[in-house]
Amino acid sequence: MANGVLVDLTRCIGCGACSVACKLWNDIPFAADKPMSGATAKLADQNWTVVKAELPQQDGQTVQRFVKQQCLHCEQPACASACFSKALERRPDGAVVYHPDLCVGCRYCMIACPFAIPKYEWNKTFPLVTKCQFCADRLADGDSPACTSVCPTGALRHGDREALLAAAWQTIRHDSRYIRHVYGEKEAGGTAWLYLSDIPFQELGFKTDVGQHPLPAATNTFLKYTPLLAAAWGVLLTGLYYYTKRRREQAADGQKEEA
Amino acid sequence: MKDKGKQASKLSRRGFLRLLGSGMAAGTAAVTAGPSARAASTGWLPAQYQTHGRWPVQVRGRIPLASDNPAIVRDDRKCILCGQCLEVCQRSQSVYGYYELPLKNDIPCVHCGQCSLWCPTGAIVERDGIAALEAALADPAKHVVVQTAPATRVALGEEFGLPPGSLVVGQQVAALRQLGFAAVFDTNFAADLTVMEEGHELAARLGDSQGRLPQLTSCCPGWVKFCEYFYPELLAHLSTAKSPQQMLGAMVKSYYAERRQLAPQQIVSVAIMPCTAKKFECSRTGQDGLADVDIVLTTRELAKLLKKKRISLADLPAAAYDDLLGQASGAGAIFGTSGGVTEAVARTLYAMQAQSAPPPELLAFKAVRGLAGVKEATIALPERTLTVAVCQGLRQARAVLDRIKSGERRWDFVEVMACSGGCIAGGGQPRTMLPPQDELRQARSRGLYQIDASQAAVRVSTDNPAIQELYRTYLGQPGSERAERLLHTRYQDRSSQLTASSGATGGETHG
Repeated sequence: MANGVLVDLTRCIGCGACSVACKLWNDIPFAADKPMSGATAKLADQNWTVVKAELPQQDGQTVQRFVKQQCLHCEQPACASACFSKALERRPDGAVVYHPDLCVGCRYCMIACPFAIPKYEWNKTFPLVTKCQFCADRLADGDSPACTSVCPTGALRHGDREALLAAAWQTIRHDSRYIRHVYGEKEAGGTAWLYLSDIPFQELGFKTDVGQHPLPAATNTFLKYTPLLAAAWGVLLTGLYYYTKRRREQAADGQKEEA
Repeated sequence: MKDKGKQASKLSRRGFLRLLGSGMAAGTAAVTAGPSARAASTGWLPAQYQTHGRWPVQVRGRIPLASDNPAIVRDDRKCILCGQCLEVCQRSQSVYGYYELPLKNDIPCVHCGQCSLWCPTGAIVERDGIAALEAALADPAKHVVVQTAPATRVALGEEFGLPPGSLVVGQQVAALRQLGFAAVFDTNFAADLTVMEEGHELAARLGDSQGRLPQLTSCCPGWVKFCEYFYPELLAHLSTAKSPQQMLGAMVKSYYAERRQLAPQQIVSVAIMPCTAKKFECSRTGQDGLADVDIVLTTRELAKLLKKKRISLADLPAAAYDDLLGQASGAGAIFGTSGGVTEAVARTLYAMQAQSAPPPELLAFKAVRGLAGVKEATIALPERTLTVAVCQGLRQARAVLDRIKSGERRWDFVEVMACSGGCIAGGGQPRTMLPPQDELRQARSRGLYQIDASQAAVRVSTDNPAIQELYRTYLGQPGSERAERLLHTRYQDRSSQLTASSGATGGETHG
């Protein structure tokens, strides 16, 4: 079973309990200059999840919506494919986890991620990358992630991704307020976190230009030949070496005979 | 080959090992000093959350609070997500969960501050008014005056080690004078004024046949905003009289300013209130675009300020309120407890109609006293008998309001206080008991009834000589043109800011 979370943005009241639960469970210090909620909320090395307040228009009126942001946990994560030291790994349960002990700090993952999720601890002497871990240790114990377990309105639902996806479409079919799109179903090849909304996603700050193809597939078509190429190159050079060596020896033998 | 061999021989075996050793030591140090693994967390959490397992967590989340809420703020660093704020907001005040999702353009809040009394870690507190007050007091160009609500005098002492309900009337005045206020007024005086205006309005409503009965009280800003959100069809029933705080503020910037020959713009009007919603209420504009009250401090904030200034309340000799806007009847004092407004209005209506002192049963109106959610009573006036209902706690009030709306019951007068117990247990009062218990409410309430029964010179608002003088020299009659302009207000239909629900749907909590 692959874990998933269905975020119903129409049910979010912006209380921010999820972002506090994240801090508590992961023991991350609070930073005054990095707000976790409100219009200026931003993901940061110390904010693995934030609730951003948006003021979109609906039926000619300004309404309030709150968007929980965190790692979406791609089914085929670009960060993990970009990481040459295997510090990022997608587990079979759906969590894309980060192993700091393997990280070399190259920050390729930050460039690879289409959602700009991984953050770097710029102000540390020995910085690492940080991001939401889907509370992988809680998932392993059969618990829900810390954030979803404290949501008072049921805006966050944790469960099997396929079941949640079915539930999401069920909701869309039965309630005309929702737009007919489950964000995360196909984005970047599909993500564990799914979003429902009654406001178009691009008006809520979602990245809607990430495409539907898994990003690792884009480079895999040619990068998969790298080992073969390396081996062939070695064989070729070795061959050339023996060829030139033999020619030199033959030339030397020729000179001896002449002398 | 020859060159390389020469170089290698320069580095001795010992030197090579030393180099290798120091490199390894540096590497070890770097790894040790670097951060540790984050994949599995060992973070601190409230006890109910600490262990793994398939049990549903007993952590409930929290109420939403807008970052620009004028009355209350929350410190995320202290929040443990225990959900006590949700409990009180939903079950006692019927605000959270009584609107449909999604939200519109507002996070509904009536600013009652009960969540700040229930929060076990003190994460939810009032929005700070101390800084603004200190700045005003330090400004020599400003004339800074203060008023104290009925209910602060029975609770402020708790912050200084006195038992609940201790009367600190005189000490509070003395402390405020030490802080440097130019004048100290009594909101009880304005409570008497409210009784005059509200009583006059009730008499008028009883006289006409427009069907605007019952008259609903308007002293409680939490209740007023609740009515604007959830019962807009009852706004016509809401008394147009301002609350005592706003009335006193209006009098300060007109009557007092005139008497003392001050420009109203020069006056900074401060109110010490048992209430967080008063911080919201003071943003309702008064006369000429000037705020009636500029700064509101809760009882807790006053205690904090006094402690900061090293003023020990309990050791101060008692001082008296200013004469102007400082004399009050016992009826004004009991405004601070549930049923007090009704009792005060009943006394005044009786005195107005009978031209004599009210009977003893109206001087200790037992039927409207106490902590029951809804209290019903009848008042036998010389002209007719009034039916009244007294509600405390907004959820309790809904039962009465729904019946008024459907026409199922008719009352002549309905008092609503947002907080259970009335102002004495308001959201700005000291957090003496967590959560506040009836014992505490009763002790404070007893304090107010004691002022009324044994300390007040007069028991009926109409008998207050200061009120009589104010009407004679300045306002004319209750309900006069000037009184209407200064002492009455309008309300705003806020029902379009949310989609009200019965509470069964909306934000019903899960898990």
